[in-house]
Amino acid sequence: MIAHILNLGRRGCDVLEALGRSGLFLAQSAVGVPSREGWYLWLRQMHFVGVLSIAIVLVSGLFIGMVLALQGYTILVDFGAEQALGQMVALSLLRELSPVVAALLFAGRAGSALTAEIGLMKATEQLTSMEMIGVDPLRRVVAPRLWAGFVALPLLTIGFSVVGIYGGYLVGVEWLGVFEGSYWGGMQSSVAFIGDVGNGMIKSMVFALVVTWIAVFQGYDLVPTAEGISRATTRTVVYSSLAVLGLDFVLTAVMFGGFS
Amino acid sequence: MKRSKTMELGVGLFMLAGILGLLFLGLRVSGLTFDMPGDTFRLEANFANIGSLKPRARVTMSGVTVGRVTAIELDRDWYDARVILELDAELEGKLARDTTAAILTAGLLGEQYIGLTVGGDPEMLVNGDTIRDTQSALVLEELIQQFVSNMVSD
Amino acid sequence: MIESPLVEVKGLHFSRGEKTIFNGVELQIPRGRITAIMGPSGTGKTTLLKLIGGQLTPDVGRVLIDGHDVHELSRKALFTLRRRMGMLFQSGALFSDLSVFENVAFPLRVHTELPEAMIRDLVLMKLQAVGLRGARELMPAELSGGMARRVALARAIALDPDLVLYDEPFVGQDPISKGVLVQLIKTLNDALGLTSVVVSHDIPEALSIADYVYVIADGQVMAQGTPASLDVDEDRRVSQFVHGEPDGPVPFHYPAPEFFRDILDLEGRP
Repeated sequence: MIAHILNLGRRGCDVLEALGRSGLFLAQSAVGVPSREGWYLWLRQMHFVGVLSIAIVLVSGLFIGMVLALQGYTILVDFGAEQALGQMVALSLLRELSPVVAALLFAGRAGSALTAEIGLMKATEQLTSMEMIGVDPLRRVVAPRLWAGFVALPLLTIGFSVVGIYGGYLVGVEWLGVFEGSYWGGMQSSVAFIGDVGNGMIKSMVFALVVTWIAVFQGYDLVPTAEGISRATTRTVVYSSLAVLGLDFVLTAVMFGGFS
Repeated sequence: MKRSKTMELGVGLFMLAGILGLLFLGLRVSGLTFDMPGDTFRLEANFANIGSLKPRARVTMSGVTVGRVTAIELDRDWYDARVILELDAELEGKLARDTTAAILTAGLLGEQYIGLTVGGDPEMLVNGDTIRDTQSALVLEELIQQFVSNMVSD
Repeated sequence: MIESPLVEVKGLHFSRGEKTIFNGVELQIPRGRITAIMGPSGTGKTTLLKLIGGQLTPDVGRVLIDGHDVHELSRKALFTLRRRMGMLFQSGALFSDLSVFENVAFPLRVHTELPEAMIRDLVLMKLQAVGLRGARELMPAELSGGMARRVALARAIALDPDLVLYDEPFVGQDPISKGVLVQLIKTLNDALGLTSVVVSHDIPEALSIADYVYVIADGQVMAQGTPASLDVDEDRRVSQFVHGEPDGPVPFHYPAPEFFRDILDLEGRP
């Protein structure tokens, strides 16, 4: 019994210690003097985590929008309220699905790649050698990736919403025959730019920070062996998915839960 | 460090697409407009009951959207709801003083909006005027109550 | 030798978890010479280099480089000090996303404001010194292990450091590459007036170029001296290591119960 409590305590300490370490890590990497070189490194990472994730995010967005419209239509038509389809599709996407699904896809596509890449650099002593050359790898390797992730995910989320709403339009208006004017009109009268689009963006930025943070920290902190890299990659996807879903509940409660 | 033009172009397009997407979400999806304040004029209307009318609801004439509800507040003199409307500037001075405003519902469960019906008074409404003749929202419970009491009294 | 040593390690204790790696190591690395640090695998020779480079902090003890205590310096001052050090890693540790040319140019680009033309000249000079001027456009993945190490050496000397640390430069190299590296370390040391520290367990190669040798085992300096004096050292542990005998004070067998008892299962199965 005592042993179990001891074990629990030790694990608690480990978790706290890891949190502290990763917090310091975040603070050290995020703060940096922007330079021409840094700008270019950021650009490369934007390409790597952002541009290369466009395809998967947009295709998923299109399908999710189409499915939403299809499901929503069959429910709404029972109440004779199919003119609310646009509103339903837009609100579900903007408030909830775009930030969350885009973040989950981002964790799988870009987050795991970031972990593996940084882990490999660590395993091949590239990070150590950078330190010995007198360059801080937190600035040079981690910071551009962190900032690229932070900018790229909200942009991807916007793309997800736009494509999703268009997918809903394709299914709802073009296929199921909802009146086009009520699809867009219902949407416009119920979607608030700050309240819905803005809050969705805030969610997305929080997720972007958390997912990239977890990804680069797992890469930087892993055991530099082949097994360590594969474990850290898995951890990145698992931890970021859980963090995104958990934080989503908290953020939704704060933003839309009606507490104030 | 070698700079690849295609990569820079890709990232540039990506960011541009993101900004355009945000514009789309703003203009097309949430219906923001870049109208100057001078392009609209304000009218007020008091309703006994606004039902579930919300700010940003449409204001229509014959089904055509001509403005939006900008604010809803409680009128402390009359204890009813004062609704502030913003209408297209083109209509200023062209709506008769006895224009009526009614809260209507789109479909059975749809959103509520305001419908204006033009009257015949020679004097016209201008910025800041109040619409006197209003018709409150239909509240389903009241309708049913009326219906039931009519049945009983028959 | 009258001038003070470039690197002094005093009373170094270091442990990782429960395991003690160094237990009072004392070293003095003379200027302008090649010092070899040798010892069996797993004695923490690489760790020692990391302690000298300031990447790890000792539990007790000090590392002085040219009079500066490495572990007392601020992060910024440490990074400045590191510009005077070059380190050659076991794997080469070339940046895999940069070409050979860019790898060698990297320290110059981040630490100097030199114009592009001068960087090019310097890089080509360093590459010429290691014989790889023709390979400048290749990516690290296209290089053989020996070539990667030579490029890494060119990168380590890009800023003309005072001190170059070599971590196992000869491991896993074919005889030709070994010969090339031995030659390079020797000529670079003499031509550029470097101070070199070679960590290795390749005895013939290390002894052939070293001016002074430390042998580390069991967390302490077990023996030191010139290569000639070590070769005839009386200590059985030293002679086992230097002559590569399979059994001796460092036993062939991992600690285990007596074979006879074990095989008859007299101790009970684990």
